Amino acid sequence: MLEAKNIGYWYTHKDDYLFKDVNLTFEAGQSYAIVGQSGSGKTTFLSLLAGLDQPKAGQILYEGQDIKKIGMTNYRKRDVSVVFQSYNLFTYMSPLDNLLTAMAITGSQHAGDKEFAATMLKKLGITEDLMRKNVQHLSGGQQQRVAIARTMACDAQLVVADEPTGNLDENNTVEVVGLFQKIAHEQGKCVIIVTHESAVAEMCDTTYRLEKKVFSQV
Amino acid sequence: MNFLKRAWLSLSAKKGRSVLLVLVTTAIMLFVLAGMLIHTAADQATANAKKSVGATLTLSANRSSAFKKMRASSSSSSKPKLKMSSVKLSDAKKIAKLANVASYNATVSASVNAKSFDAISTSSSTSTMPGGASSSSSGDISLSGVTNTSQSTSFTDGTNKITKGRGLTSSDKNTNNVVVESELAKEDSLSVGDTITVKKSGKTYKLKIVGIYKSTSSSSTQMGPGASDPANTIYSSYTLANTVKGSKYAGTADSVTFTISNPSKVNSVKAAGKKLINTSKYSLATNDSSYQAVKSSMNNIKSFADKIVWLVAIAGTIILALIVILMIRERRHEIGILLSMGEARWKIVGQFFAELVMVLVVSLCLAGIGGKFVGDKLGSELMSQQTQSSSATISAPGDSNGGNMGGGSRPSGGAPSGGGQGGGMAVHSSMGGQTGTTSASADTDLDINVTALTMVELGGFGLAIIFLSTMLASGGILRLQPKKVLIES
Ligand SMILES: Nc1ncnc2c1ncn2[C@@H]1O[C@H](COP(=O)(O)OP(=O)(O)O)[C@@H](O)[C@H]1O
Ligand SMILES: [Mg+2]
Repeated sequence: MLEAKNIGYWYTHKDDYLFKDVNLTFEAGQSYAIVGQSGSGKTTFLSLLAGLDQPKAGQILYEGQDIKKIGMTNYRKRDVSVVFQSYNLFTYMSPLDNLLTAMAITGSQHAGDKEFAATMLKKLGITEDLMRKNVQHLSGGQQQRVAIARTMACDAQLVVADEPTGNLDENNTVEVVGLFQKIAHEQGKCVIIVTHESAVAEMCDTTYRLEKKVFSQV
Repeated sequence: MNFLKRAWLSLSAKKGRSVLLVLVTTAIMLFVLAGMLIHTAADQATANAKKSVGATLTLSANRSSAFKKMRASSSSSSKPKLKMSSVKLSDAKKIAKLANVASYNATVSASVNAKSFDAISTSSSTSTMPGGASSSSSGDISLSGVTNTSQSTSFTDGTNKITKGRGLTSSDKNTNNVVVESELAKEDSLSVGDTITVKKSGKTYKLKIVGIYKSTSSSSTQMGPGASDPANTIYSSYTLANTVKGSKYAGTADSVTFTISNPSKVNSVKAAGKKLINTSKYSLATNDSSYQAVKSSMNNIKSFADKIVWLVAIAGTIILALIVILMIRERRHEIGILLSMGEARWKIVGQFFAELVMVLVVSLCLAGIGGKFVGDKLGSELMSQQTQSSSATISAPGDSNGGNMGGGSRPSGGAPSGGGQGGGMAVHSSMGGQTGTTSASADTDLDINVTALTMVELGGFGLAIIFLSTMLASGGILRLQPKKVLIES
């Protein structure tokens, strides 16, 4: 579904690259973990997959098509859904409005948008009462579940997450990773999670490690 | 149109910020509105002044060519003399026969001394002449000869009003009928039907009072210290004034004013009339000095108002742009999420613009309410300042400021018969001519009204300001890299 072809990236100097000639494939219905030390370039790599930045070398193919050809904005809108470590939500909205807004922007149409969004939130343990409050009244774990519900409510078949459990305690971490597993296995989407926690990586189907500027499957 | 919904949600969730934005925008809009209102009011005042100028033409001696002649002769003789010719009534009658001339009014001024009664002496004249006020040789009574009192400027502009008896008409020609001022009548117990006497150069003239008028003017219409009070003006037929002045003045007038039946024809009548007279000796002019005075004064106000509008607009754009820039910094994460969802950048800019438009709508309502108040205050403040520096004195009617501004037009040395200015915007201006000072007033109601059109214009201005400031600030949004925002977190 997603293929990194001879990807290379550097910030200041070509010689000072973070990684180069990276060739990785990601399949639908599977979950992937990308692990590595802090500062190794995991977030940078993920931003390339999410279409938030362009590689200095190589290309990224989505369903066999270069995402540059698809158009970065189109790609981000239709094909990818991103979950970050924090600041995932519109702070001036309720969880329900967050979902509805994302669905509207990405053009994800469902019969009875509002009911659909509410059902998604309820599935992830956000009560009717909570989903109408401003998101800032929610705990970190709850906010992250809203972000995941949003990903589930959108049609994008590729889900990328950067340290989605970074701010969560152990119980919440297990629960959230479990939800990502559901997205991959029940919704048949492709899930890619960047993490530095081995516990998180162990729960995913496949793990790639970025070490000494080289990706390798664990 | 999801970005509109987001704009609304953002505004309603961040109430403190929204209120602040509304306040800043309202302040900017109020200043722009005030400037616009003053401009409109000035336009209105000019238009009203033009209307009230009416359609009159005045035939009088050509002062500028008279002065030229005087200067030319000054080289040969030691004492140059200004020779001003009187207007020949035969010339005036020729003009009066032109199409569209409804009637004419001849004006002749003379000064005489009161004999059977006492002229009203003003404090200023008695203090300079301890010997007695009425002993002046130049005459303590000014005799204002007219064809028709109802057509003379002091009566048409409302300064003078007949209160008892009747005014003078053309049938009073060659009679000694006169109209006296009410203060003078009261002082000397004169009433309609009485006969008074005046003297000039040893001759005594018997005058018959046929009417009494009340003057609201505070300034004299005649030169000479004893005649400085307006109550000392006696209206007579122009023939009587000519007789008093001397036999060589028969059949002449100081000036002749023609009333044009169709105001739009004034200029064509003027052109036709000029062909009938010797233009080097006489001038035929539209009597619009009061209009010109109002116009130039209003033009000053207008240009000042325009400057306010533009300055505030520019300052407002900068202020709002800075606020939007700060807002964008504060909302980088939100913008990052939107960008990561593939939202078009123009729609993100559109959301910020929409938020400001919603703020603007509220601000416009507030500015509309406040505009009347601010416009009134600022308007009258400006008027009073402006008129102090110009020759015209303008007082706004009715409102509380009218009183003190009207006061500016009165001499400080307390005129006894000054009386209250009766409404309207009175414009006193000096006019050339042998009649001395003619007081012309234009009834120009200075209505500062917030009309629907003003609000639409203001809204357009506001939109432009908001659009510009959003554009200035949107560089930040357009350059923002979603990755950077999210990596930093
Ligand atoms: N905008 C940037 N300019 C220069 N260097 C950067 C920039 N962003 C990140 N880096 C550097 O690139 C490296 C990889 O960063 P990152 O992808 O965030 O790593 P990770 O997510 O694995 O911690 C880090 O050393 C970081 O300092
Ligand atoms: Mg990182």
